[in-house]
This record gives sequence, structure tokens and C-alpha cells, in this order.
Amino acid sequence: MDLLGIMLAVLGAALAAGLAGSGSAIGVGIAGESGAGVMTEDPGKFGLVLLLQALPGTQGIYGLLIAFFAILKVGLLGGGGALEVSVMQGLGVLFSCLPIAIAGYFSAIAQGKTSAACIHMIAKRPEETGKAVILPAMVETYAVLALLMSIILLNGIQI
Amino acid sequence: MPVAKINKLELYVHRSVLDGVAAAIQKTGRCEIIVREEEEAQKASSGRLQELDALLSEARFLLRFLEPYFEDPVSPIARAFGEKPSLSLMDLGNLSTEMDIREISEEMHTLERRLVEIRAEVSQMEGLLVMLDKLQGLPYSLELISSGTASIRGVIGTVPVDQTDYLKLAVENQLGENGELFVADFGEKDKETWAALFYLKTLEPTALEICSKNGMTRVEIPSSLKGHAADEISKLQERTEELAREEKVIHREATKGALSYVPSIRALSDYWAVLRSRNEVLQSGYYTDQVVVLKAWVPSDSIEEVKTELAEYADLTEIITSEPLEGDEPPTILENPKWALPFETLTKLYGAPKYDAIDPTPLLAPFFFIFFGMCLGDAGYGIIMVGFFLFFLKRFKKMPKGTRQFFVLFVLSGGAAIIVGALTGSWLGDMVEAFPFLHFQKPVKDLPVILNPMQDPMTFLAISLAFGVVQIFVGLFVALYDCIRKKDYIGAIGDQGGWILLLVGLLVLGGTISGKLPATLSLPGKILSISGAVILVLTQGREKESLVQKGISGVLSLYNVTAYLGDVLSYSRLLALGLATSAIAMIINMLSTLASAIPYIGWVMAIVLCIGGHMFSVAVNILGAFVHSLRLQYVEFFSKFYTGGGRSFKPLTYETRFISLKENIRR
Repeated sequence: MDLLGIMLAVLGAALAAGLAGSGSAIGVGIAGESGAGVMTEDPGKFGLVLLLQALPGTQGIYGLLIAFFAILKVGLLGGGGALEVSVMQGLGVLFSCLPIAIAGYFSAIAQGKTSAACIHMIAKRPEETGKAVILPAMVETYAVLALLMSIILLNGIQI
Repeated sequence: MPVAKINKLELYVHRSVLDGVAAAIQKTGRCEIIVREEEEAQKASSGRLQELDALLSEARFLLRFLEPYFEDPVSPIARAFGEKPSLSLMDLGNLSTEMDIREISEEMHTLERRLVEIRAEVSQMEGLLVMLDKLQGLPYSLELISSGTASIRGVIGTVPVDQTDYLKLAVENQLGENGELFVADFGEKDKETWAALFYLKTLEPTALEICSKNGMTRVEIPSSLKGHAADEISKLQERTEELAREEKVIHREATKGALSYVPSIRALSDYWAVLRSRNEVLQSGYYTDQVVVLKAWVPSDSIEEVKTELAEYADLTEIITSEPLEGDEPPTILENPKWALPFETLTKLYGAPKYDAIDPTPLLAPFFFIFFGMCLGDAGYGIIMVGFFLFFLKRFKKMPKGTRQFFVLFVLSGGAAIIVGALTGSWLGDMVEAFPFLHFQKPVKDLPVILNPMQDPMTFLAISLAFGVVQIFVGLFVALYDCIRKKDYIGAIGDQGGWILLLVGLLVLGGTISGKLPATLSLPGKILSISGAVILVLTQGREKESLVQKGISGVLSLYNVTAYLGDVLSYSRLLALGLATSAIAMIINMLSTLASAIPYIGWVMAIVLCIGGHMFSVAVNILGAFVHSLRLQYVEFFSKFYTGGGRSFKPLTYETRFISLKENIRR
């Protein structure tokens, strides 16, 4: 059994979950700092602030999702035992994980900054929450597209 | 699609009935008084306004002071959902005359002041107690320091621990028999300690110099301290206890006050706020000696209602209605069929349309419904969502209109998710397959399934993009209709007509090339796209000056075709989010099955994982589905035809926080 193939797939899964998760952690952190600042003035905004702080968290979930998909693909999860994976197939899985790993990391940070700015916005204009939620979502689009590409690529690899 | 028609209403009122008329207008809740921006706006009623402001500020103080003592029988959430006591203006008027808020306020101010005093005294005594505790070893009474005797004086203060030896030395050398130094005990880690110096009154300058040279910081002690430190400590402790008792009494009184006053004060603060808003708009009237003119926006279908309400003042009022003029900026009222009402919230989130613009609500409603369904895409989560929001709708029947609409919107969206979930076979992900005890359900579950996006994502992607194409074309056709309505025929043909031709042509061409459409359609496709492109090249530069610039702008505009491509691709998120939901659910199910294999406690972990995981997943995915399906409306759809920028209709009506008014017919 060619272990290198499986290990490459594992590397892909690790990158997807690790990088996208780190990005989300940074993004949620940035938004949380702003949120704490706003809540020192008005603790009643907790609900809105939490909503906005949660937005950059989705990349981490997407990364985790692809990581699960990747190890499912090579049979490490689900109880069926590891499959026969060639080095090329393993590389394929690794590359398929890259879109969400890279775009997830950077988009989550950018989205965190946008969320932070929007938290400041609702501090002054709580009635504009609808708009404040849409702006971070614009950033997330690219994480969604990366997720889509990762899914399609993984789906395309035959093992 | 158009917004409700609005008329301008001019109301000529004799001054004697002004208050009654204003009250009647407020009761109808259908008139937005046009606010005068000019500086010289009459301040005729400002006396009454000031009085109301004063009352409101008393009420605010009382609520701030008393509410912490008030155990609210209604939770703030329930109140936000409309659980408020119902009162009539008459009741409130009586309450307002019966209750002397100033007296209550005076009483509460006294309590508050006393509390502040007590707290200040207690904190001062706490400081003294710390000091006295250190001075327990002092053999003399404190009177020596606080007032002294005929010939002896004393000072007290803190000294850095490492300076104490120098201080002792200096006292011995310079004062000798005529001075005595006391240094309190100090621990190893202390940096400072207390010291007291006693000396002959005549030697005061020398003594003070010794103190300041050796780093002693003098502390003045109150003259009330006379006895030995231990006695004073017990006295102070007694006093503290006494004050604590008094504080308790005050708290009890405040609690009693809160119980008896808070509900009425809340009601009254609403009442005064209602009166205040009524008096405030009167400032925008035009005043003569006898007559006041008020101008207002009134929806055309409510004019009769307003007239009926004012009938009793018919002799002393005159009403003139007119159409809004060029340059007027009437507010917007959205007017939609019942099925589209919940979606109005989404339009309002973006911004109301201008008065003469199109209301996009019925257009976005079906798309939002489908898109949300596809993004959440799981029947199990849909059922959870419907159940959750239906529960709130049933529990809080008196919910304000806006909140109710929002909740109904979520119930509908959850319904959409159930439909899509059933069609794609996703019930809490693959729960039916994952848990053996649910296997028997599989035939039922598989019955309505037409497509499994997990196995065939490309078909689902094609469906998503197709919806995108449809929505973008709807947007373009609405813009076309809007141009024709405004008689902007060049815009209609050039901007929308050109693009529609080009895009349809390109789609047909693409279809024939990929073999999905018969090859015979290739020629019409070419003709359509070329004629569309020609129209665009000819018209898109029409605002430029020279012929060359016109040509360049025209050709460059064709580049926008990439923007349409981007718009369509953006709809691929429908697939991605739908897949993400099912996949997350699937992973949760898988982890639960894995956990259940752990001996003895496995089933507990499996249940916890399953319930907790799905709760988390449903929250995250609803948020994602909502935000992304909304974005498709705002960014991809609205950009074709809708700008917002209008102002919502804000009539003079009853706006209350704590109570609901019986007179309020529209809530």
C-alpha cells in the first residue's frame, strides 16, 4: 500500500482545516475586539454584536468540511478502512484542498475587519443592522466560491 | 408594484380647536406632518412642550433609580414581543392628574442623595479603620494628634519602611527629650508604615522639618477621633453598622416605591411621550392670529378616514388635498398583496423605494423563497426553523407588526427549506441512512427525491446558475418596463433592449455550441447577439461629446458582459451552501455513530453530539442562508433596476414603549 498517497491527502485535510480555521480565529478575534469596545458603552447590543462577530467564523467550518471530505475520500473515516491511494491521487486531493485553505485564511481575516467596521456602524446606527450584515457577507462570497471549487475538485478525483 | 399613492393635505384650523384636531390626527395615525426646516418655525406651543420635557425627565430619573429595585413580572423580551398592559388615553390622563410625579420624584431624590452620602461616609470610615488598625499599639489617645494639648502637639503620617531608622535617629538627635516617635508594626513585605511624632508645641518647626526631610507623608485626621485607637475602632464599626441598617431601610423604601410607582411611571412616560410628539409637530404649523395651517402627507385611501375623524371640528377647520408637486419629496408606503407582506422587511432593510419608483418586494419574494430553500436545503432544519418561529408567533399574539412580519418570513423560509430538503433527500443530512433504527423510513424519504446534490453536484450547479440567469433577466425586463413607464425610450432600447438581445443571443449560441440546443438555432443566436452588440455600441456612448468618444464608450461597454458572467456565477453559492449544510449534518451524524461505539457511555455522547451539533449547525446555516440569499437580491438583482433612496412614511401616531394604547387602531 502506498502510504505517501494517503499522507498527501491528510496534508491537504490538515491545511484546509488548519489554515481556514486560523483565518476564522483571527477574523472572529478582530470582530470581537471591536464588539467588546462597543459593548462597554451599550451592553444591550450583545445580540447584534454576536451576530456580526460570528460571520467570519464560517470559513473555519468550510475548511473543516473539506478536511472531512478529503479524509472520507481516502477512506480514513467511516470505518471501511483506508483505500489504495496512489501518489498522484493523493496529490490531487491535496491540491483540491488548497482553494478553501488559502481563500478561507485570507477572506476570514478580511471579513473580520469588515465585521469590526460594521460593529462600529451599528454602535451609532442600530437601525441599519441589515446593511451591516450584508457588507461582511460580500467578503464571504469568495470563501464560498473556494469551497465550491474544493468540493467540485474533490468530487472529480476518482479513487 | 408601484408604491401607494400619497396626497398632500393642507389643514386650516382655528386656534381654539388646535389641540383637539392634533389629537384626532394622531389617532388616525395616517398623517405625516411636513416638518418645517426654517429657523422661524413657530414656537407657539413650546411652553407646553417644555412642561412635557420636564415631566419626561422626571420620569426618566425615577425609572433609572427605581427600575433596579423593580421585579418586572414581564420579561424585556416578552415586552418587545408586545406583552404590554393596555390602557386608554383617558385612563392615562386621569393617572397623570392624580399622580404628583414631582412629589414622588422629590422623595426619591432625597433617598438617592442619602444613599450617596452614606456610601461616601462608609468609604471614608473604611480608610480610617485601616489606619486605626495599624495604630492599635499607640499608647496615647488620638486627641493628642487631632487637637493637641496646651503644650504638646502631634502629627501622623506614612513613612517608607527603609526610612524609619533615619527618622528615629533624627528625632533622637534633634528633639531629644522633647519629642517622642511612634512607629507602627509592619510586615516584611510592607513598603510603608504609619508613624506618629509628638513634640513640644514650641519646637513645631523643627519637628515638621524632620518629618518632611525623612519622607513622612502627613495625614490629617478628623477632629472627631479623640480616644484610644481600639475605642475609636469600635465606635467606627458601630457607626458603619448603623449606616448599613439605614441603607437597608432606604433600599426597602425604594423597593416599596418601585413596586407601587414603576408601572404607573412607565405608563405615564409613554403618555407624555405621545403628547410630546403631538405638540412637537404643531411647531411645524404656520400661525396667524386666528388660524393655524398644518401640511401633511396622507395616503390617498386614508383621506376619507382623516376627514371623518375631523368631522366634529368641521365648522372650524378646512381641508384641501392636492397631488404632490414636482420637487416635493413624498414619503413611501409599500403596498403589497398579502403573500408578499413578510418580504417587505427585506426591501426596508435595503432602503425604501423613492415615491415614484417601483417597489421590488413582490419581485424578490419568490426568488428569496427559493434561494433560501436551496441554501439551507435540509428538510430537518426547515422543520426545526418553522417550529421555532411558529412557537414565538403563537406564544406572543400581540407582537408588533414589523417583528411579526419578520417571524412569518422565517416560517416561510423554513417551509422552503423543507420543500428543497424533501426534493433532494436531505433530512438532517443523511440521518435516515446513518442511524440504523431509522432505516425503515428510507422508502418514504426517497419518494419525493428528484436529485441528490451530493452525488450529482454539476446538475445542481446548473440549476443554480439557471435561476441566476432567470433572475437577471427578470431584473433587466423590470428595468425595461420602468424606462418605458417613464417614457425614456432610448434608455429602454439602448440599455436594456441591447443587453437583453445580446445576452439571449449569447445563451442560444452557447447552447448550440455545447450541443444542448439544435444547431439550426445557431444562426438566430448569432443574429440576436450581433444586433444586441450593435445597439449597445451605438447607444452606450450617447452622453459623450465627440463622435470618437461615443464610439469608444460604445465598444468599451461590451466589456460589461463579464459583469453579467460574474453575476450568474455568483449564484453558484446556492449549490455550495446547500452542499455545506448537508455535509455538516452528515459529519455530525457520522461522529455521533462513531461515538456510540464507545462502550457504556457511548450512547450518551452520541445523543449529546447529535443534538448539540445539529443545534449549532442549524443556527450557523440559517444565518448563512439568510445572508447569502439576501445578498443575491441586493447585489445581483437590485443592481439591474432598483436604487432605494426613498424615505419611509412616518405618520404622527402613538409610539409607546411600555404600554399599548387602546385607541391605537394600527399596531
